[in-house]
Amino acid sequence: MFTFDPYSPAIDADPFPFYKTLRDEYPCFWSPQAQTWVLSRYSDIVSAGQNWQLYSSAKGNLMTELPNRAGATLGTTDPPRHDRLRGLVQHAFMKRNLEGLAEPMRDIARTAAEALRGKDQFDFIDAFSSKFTVRVLFAALGLPLGDEQTVRDKAVLMVQSDPVSRAKGEEHIAAYNWMRDYAAKVIADRRAHPQNDLISHFSMAEIDGDKLDEREVLLTTTTLIMAGIESLGGFMSMLGLNLADYADARKAVVAKPELLPDAVEESLRFNTSAQRFRRCLQKDVTLHGQTMREGDFVCLAYGSGNRDERQYPNPDVYDITRKPRGHLGFGGGVHACLGSAIARMAIRIAFEEFHKVVPNYRRAQEKLDWMPSSTFRSPLRLPLTVH
Amino acid sequence: MVRIIYVEPSGNPRTVDVTEEWSLMQGATANGVDGIVGECGGSCACGTCHCYVEESRLAELPPPSSTEQDTLDGVAAEIKPNSRLACQIRATAALEGLVVTLPETQG
Repeated sequence: MFTFDPYSPAIDADPFPFYKTLRDEYPCFWSPQAQTWVLSRYSDIVSAGQNWQLYSSAKGNLMTELPNRAGATLGTTDPPRHDRLRGLVQHAFMKRNLEGLAEPMRDIARTAAEALRGKDQFDFIDAFSSKFTVRVLFAALGLPLGDEQTVRDKAVLMVQSDPVSRAKGEEHIAAYNWMRDYAAKVIADRRAHPQNDLISHFSMAEIDGDKLDEREVLLTTTTLIMAGIESLGGFMSMLGLNLADYADARKAVVAKPELLPDAVEESLRFNTSAQRFRRCLQKDVTLHGQTMREGDFVCLAYGSGNRDERQYPNPDVYDITRKPRGHLGFGGGVHACLGSAIARMAIRIAFEEFHKVVPNYRRAQEKLDWMPSSTFRSPLRLPLTVH
Repeated sequence: MVRIIYVEPSGNPRTVDVTEEWSLMQGATANGVDGIVGECGGSCACGTCHCYVEESRLAELPPPSSTEQDTLDGVAAEIKPNSRLACQIRATAALEGLVVTLPETQG
């Protein structure tokens, strides 16, 4: 009997065979373990993502939601409130406003890459991507230096879920609470000493003359820190893994760094870190012969839509010449990733500098340990061998 | 399905059947139409799905929101009175046969 349990370690490691069965045989599937419907075909996910009136985010968007978070962040509100919140922070993340970050990012990437010079083997995540992402986020948000490693560790922990209890474990909740307290300190500091930066503006912003709800300021800031570190770092490790596994692709982007953006887009399709988000139905819907009820949760399996053969021919082939238009690597619709431009830029710069020091590498171990998460997918460690 | 005709920057017209309620940006990117990017995924944030709607039918569309107007201010190609963001236009039966022309650049 087929089932799809997003809490299973087998799904953390390799969800793709399960996704294929879902798409072909159960395109509207009820997962008893997750207590949610699962949509797995590209066109169904796009349709649901565009229809926020029906597929609401206000009850939370993470497959395993953090306590008291829904309704207070960009990803967990619906329009029109969502659009107003997004309007306040979008400006800082638009492509044309990021140019000033290019040189600081390159310095950070160069320093992190230089530390790898001469090494035969290293953990890509511990030795490079986590150092890069946390410093980039601190630079982008103007956070005070000193706590980087702890902030990174907590961000990675708070997105995880417990495979046995199928809920957040104590350590995950503790990490979330730590991050919320950390964000609260940063906000208090910016209010006392305002600077010309995102958190200062956001923490004092108003919508229609009303100050933002304190919970909105706090949890949106918490989420920005979490996403900036965990999602960016998780995706960097997936791109690193793809380039380690597919030597021809790696050689092509090392020889011609201008091809890196094509590799980034293909990896976003092939192995997006945000595999699954969820929505809550606002009325009954019948799809593929199944009736989903108002109030039911629905999982949008982006990672499956990106491998849908109905949309992408030979979807399990990693091909950097594919240029996969319309992929779901950053989600879609009104909740499409706020940080897509900064992520694309950071990753391009990071790999340009990484490849100057380490152009030839491969996986040091066949079997990887995967993060336990019902929402995100990335390895916990990525040992690489230099050759 | 709603038939939309996208005129690519080369002048090539591409006729695409867009799923009803999808945005014109999503209909174009999912079908590999040239001249449109949709970098932000459809959240009216990036201005890379700029298009020119055929003028005679412009009035059939709901007017742009203030957010769309703000984002249109930042697009890469020339803004014209019929400039719109394709991510903000939903495919409905009323738009059957609409022609949208894509600019030389999305930046």
